[in-house]
Amino acid sequence: MVKISYTKLKGSQNMRLRLLLSTLSSTPILIEDIRANATLPGLRPHEVSFLRLLEKISDDCFVEINETGTKLKYKPGIVMGGRHLVHDCGESRAMGYFLEPLIVLALFGKKPLSIKLRGVTNDSKDPSVDTFRSTTLPMLKQFGVSSEGLDLKILSRGVPPHGGGEIILSVPIVQDSLKAITWIDEGMVKRIRGITFSTRVSVQFENTTLHSARGIFNRLLPDVHIFTDHKTGPQAGKSPGYGMSLVAETTSGCFISADNAVYRAQEEDEDGELEDEGKKWLIPPEDLGEQTASALLGEIEQGGVVDSTHQGLLFLLCALCPQDVSKVRVGKLSPYGIQVLRHIKDFLSVKFVIKPDPSTGTVILRCVGCGLKNLSRKLS
Amino acid sequence: LAERASLRQNINLMQLVYGKPASKSLNETLDCIDEEESEDDEFFKPKGEGNKKSKEGTDVNDVDIDDCSKFLNTATKKNWKSEDLIASIRNRFVTGDWSKASLRNQFSE
Repeated sequence: MVKISYTKLKGSQNMRLRLLLSTLSSTPILIEDIRANATLPGLRPHEVSFLRLLEKISDDCFVEINETGTKLKYKPGIVMGGRHLVHDCGESRAMGYFLEPLIVLALFGKKPLSIKLRGVTNDSKDPSVDTFRSTTLPMLKQFGVSSEGLDLKILSRGVPPHGGGEIILSVPIVQDSLKAITWIDEGMVKRIRGITFSTRVSVQFENTTLHSARGIFNRLLPDVHIFTDHKTGPQAGKSPGYGMSLVAETTSGCFISADNAVYRAQEEDEDGELEDEGKKWLIPPEDLGEQTASALLGEIEQGGVVDSTHQGLLFLLCALCPQDVSKVRVGKLSPYGIQVLRHIKDFLSVKFVIKPDPSTGTVILRCVGCGLKNLSRKLS
Repeated sequence: LAERASLRQNINLMQLVYGKPASKSLNETLDCIDEEESEDDEFFKPKGEGNKKSKEGTDVNDVDIDDCSKFLNTATKKNWKSEDLIASIRNRFVTGDWSKASLRNQFSE
């Protein structure tokens, strides 16, 4: 028996980030005290589901959870990728939760990945699948990922609480490693695109959302197109809801996004996680449009080449670059972004030089990548 | 003097990210943790959800913090219908003043 030394960690925070970095850096981890003092201790369904997903896409990985689920042992394997995989994400978190780490892992796999995910496509907590398609995937191209084979298809939508959405994600592998970037030119917003969707409700909800969002942008930019995606029948999933995803494209090829979704929460749920939201709609469609549009303008005002949601991913990709200097500009550091920076330092020992740019209120980050190579590709 | 000020801010930001979270003063980038309050809470810490609810969302030091990359900033609460605000970001759009916008990218090392 070979004794494996585990890196010890505590708490349930940033679980997927830890698992992701653990896999990329081949560091076995041991997480203790996972919600040990909570009334419902242990791992949540989405966290278990994410572990199952890791098992599915990698070879020789080892997961051990103790009886109460408060302790987790993870020994990463080799990311294999593969085609025609299927994974059920469950209903406790939206697909965005799974997609964020998954795309990074898939890049460093042995074979290109194509996977069908089932579950919640849009909710208010995680980036929606629309945002993924419009913002996250173009972002990968900046790092030299080929756009061929990089795709996300929405087969059907599903909102909480019952989900029922289906997507197909395809991610190519990087041949050798990513490309270091200097990405500080934010450019100017040249167009705004967006999509509104509705499932199991009247199409009128979409039109109202669309009009109120347009009303905000009209004084700034004429090039605003928001598409509607009204789903009915089996394509609409199992729960009623509506939402919107907006993306601003700049002259230098940056994509800034904002999204939100409205749905009825389950009123009686033993999960204890959901708040009592009653039976009526949380936000009426006019407000949803205005709020999402305002959020987008807020992100634009803040500056940076990505929005605050994508900061973490941006830092991570920079850190995974070859041993070359990457330089990026972001707006205010988001709490999640800071967490990512800390974990990158712990796992990959890449430390960023962070410098504020007072004239614009943005932050410039520089780092030398850890030089991660796609090793799984070479194993045959 | 301006150079020194920017240098200090720089260190603060590095400290903010990499330094020990307990022993630092927070600057404007992260206005969330109320030090005194959290110390009081530490003393009478009920084992349960009650305490967590009040701390949830903003506390970065919570080991069981929700794993969520989406950050809802306060900008949503601003009234983007007002002319002043619209004018303030006018130059970030192609419809604004291009020469002023290009100034943003002249970043001094």
